[in-house]
Amino acid sequence: MKANHGTLMAKQRRAGWFYLLPGTLLITIMSFIPIINAVFTSLKTGSSANMKWAEPLFYNYTRMLKDQLFQRSMVNTFLYLIIEVPIMLILAMLLAQLLNNHDLRFKGFFRTCVFLPCATSLVSYSLIFKSLFATEGLVNTILVKIGILETNYNFLGNPTSAKIIIIIALIWRWTGYNMVFFLAGLQNIDYSVYEAAKIDGANGWQTFWKITVPLLRPTIVMTAIMSINGTLQLFDESVNLTNGGPANSTITMSHYIYNNSFGQGVANFGYASALSFIIFVMVAVLSFINMKVGDKRD
Amino acid sequence: MKKITRRSFLAGLAAVSAAGVLAACGSSSSSTAASTAGSTAGSTAAEGGHKLTAYAWDASFNIPALNAAAADYKENVDPDFELEIIEQSQSSDVENAITLAASAGDYSTLPDIVLFQDHYIQKYVSDYPDAFVPVEGADIDWTGISEEKLSYSTIDGVHYGVPVDNGTVIFAYRTDLLEQAGYTIDDMTGISWADFIKVGQDVYNATGKYLLCMDGDGNDLIYMMLQAEDASQFKDGEPFITGNEPLRQVCEVIVEMVQKNVCYLANDWSGYINQVILGDMVAGVMNGNWIIPTICQVPENSGKWEITSLPTLAGGEGYASNGGSSLYITANCDNVDLAKEFLAYTFGGSTVTYDNALRDGGVITTVLACGESDVYNEGVEYFNNTPIYAQIVEMGGNVPIIEQSDYHYRARTYMAAAIINTINGANLDDELANAEQQIRFEMGL
Repeated sequence: MKANHGTLMAKQRRAGWFYLLPGTLLITIMSFIPIINAVFTSLKTGSSANMKWAEPLFYNYTRMLKDQLFQRSMVNTFLYLIIEVPIMLILAMLLAQLLNNHDLRFKGFFRTCVFLPCATSLVSYSLIFKSLFATEGLVNTILVKIGILETNYNFLGNPTSAKIIIIIALIWRWTGYNMVFFLAGLQNIDYSVYEAAKIDGANGWQTFWKITVPLLRPTIVMTAIMSINGTLQLFDESVNLTNGGPANSTITMSHYIYNNSFGQGVANFGYASALSFIIFVMVAVLSFINMKVGDKRD
Repeated sequence: MKKITRRSFLAGLAAVSAAGVLAACGSSSSSTAASTAGSTAGSTAAEGGHKLTAYAWDASFNIPALNAAAADYKENVDPDFELEIIEQSQSSDVENAITLAASAGDYSTLPDIVLFQDHYIQKYVSDYPDAFVPVEGADIDWTGISEEKLSYSTIDGVHYGVPVDNGTVIFAYRTDLLEQAGYTIDDMTGISWADFIKVGQDVYNATGKYLLCMDGDGNDLIYMMLQAEDASQFKDGEPFITGNEPLRQVCEVIVEMVQKNVCYLANDWSGYINQVILGDMVAGVMNGNWIIPTICQVPENSGKWEITSLPTLAGGEGYASNGGSSLYITANCDNVDLAKEFLAYTFGGSTVTYDNALRDGGVITTVLACGESDVYNEGVEYFNNTPIYAQIVEMGGNVPIIEQSDYHYRARTYMAAAIINTINGANLDDELANAEQQIRFEMGL
């Protein structure tokens, strides 16, 4: 009986490994091997066709410390992160709360409306925002017509306004996406908790901060990690909306990496790989902090 | 029974994944097999290969030129000849395809011949020495081609490219708008930039149009204005930004022009084309003559434009060249002899090719003899019936040869940023020092 059980277990285990095998093989070939290769690439310099070991070996990493453009791209990316992520998450939570209201009619319609921006591709929405905020674009025309602006303003030609436009675009694109997670999180909160709060005399604001936010903590941690991760890798908006301009004032780290690998025949894959690793480390560190801060279990 | 199904299922799964891997290998090996088969077929029967493939990107400009050349070769040399043009959406697509193929060490994705902008070839040859086949031995009279044009595609005395279009810079003015401000095209010829700014202010006050415009993101003004001074941003292979007096003055002039509404800097290339030129915001356009087809897209301004040379810092006519392209034979070309013959016969100096290229695409030759044909001496209605093409070929002969660099476009990027930052209030000298440092970084200096 025992032996029989053992063979069954062994058989199941073998079957389990077999099931894992294709996936493991694919992820090894497609992800792990390239990642390891990138480590070596990041220690090399020269054009892509004949790369040599860097002299000294960590030249690409020390170069970053002196590279003002990389530092600017880092400042830009963190600026987007610090301003955009909190606004977006709070907005998403409020929207989720509103749309979770049992008395609300046409809920499905409103949910679809808020989620719809996520269905547009990154490139096309960037291009739409670009034409909306162009000097002769819709926003300028409206603002001039209703008298807020006297002449057309070059939104994408000014470093500050261009950054603001990118942040607005990001909020528009990603709030609905995060809202869906919060909605799912809210479904798990028993409605009787809210009813009890109502009986105790809590108003909407108190309910939100005292009940919704604490009970949604796991969802908040997850969305925050995803948003931080996504913002650090921000690329499409920088490339398509402003092309990093004016004068590299809106360039993101990923865009700078792209410029180092494909921009204007540069093809410095060594430096680009080194930069990617720095982003990887940043994402890992930030996610770790986030998990430690967000996880209040004992 | 049950056991068998599971085992067969697992076996099936393993087979599927193995097949997937095999299929991936199989496709690459079959393609190499196909290409080797192609090359042997090409070499065993030299007269058997009649087909070439090419990358080009502009359906209203260089693609008609390639079509004209193909038709010329087909009619006069080889009736079976066929040129398959693989259209790319923009010039950077061609450049990315080359970078990608060369980085992977697999040129099989490239066509037989590629067209790309002249400033890239130096960097490609130094980075990827195997990527291009020199056109040495082709039947071309190199002395009959503009020397300045060849200075890009000739590396250590070896010719790598056959010129297609001419990048000679023109300064096109709206004569009707100049007249409203009290000037003529002759006043603008040989003018100094300082006087140009005065005229520009008068024109803006009288008509509300800018006398000059450029894409602020890919700012070519600096390079063009500097070449007209016979100066370069590079010296002995190193960036020459700080301590370069003409360069500093050119930058000052550009900043002043923007601040005084003489020059409009668009946010990007499409803004430059669609908003500024097609949107009729300007009284003057200065760029490589390939900008002419764009200018001509505003039909109501026909007859109001004329062209002349560039202003200079001290006054006197300036000449420059910007953004021409050439055809290059790739390492993947199976039939190098045919490619060389085709290029030599057509773009090497065929009047038929160049006449049709001009008629269909507005492509202007750098082959001096081809610029003397009747088509070139016809007046162009859009430009007040002046023979602008002959004028451009003549101006092309005066363009000074300046030091070129692999890092031309990188320098352009950083200089464009320096100009924008200075306009927004930064100190020009700090910005120039910064730009120089970034370029040195990229060059590994």
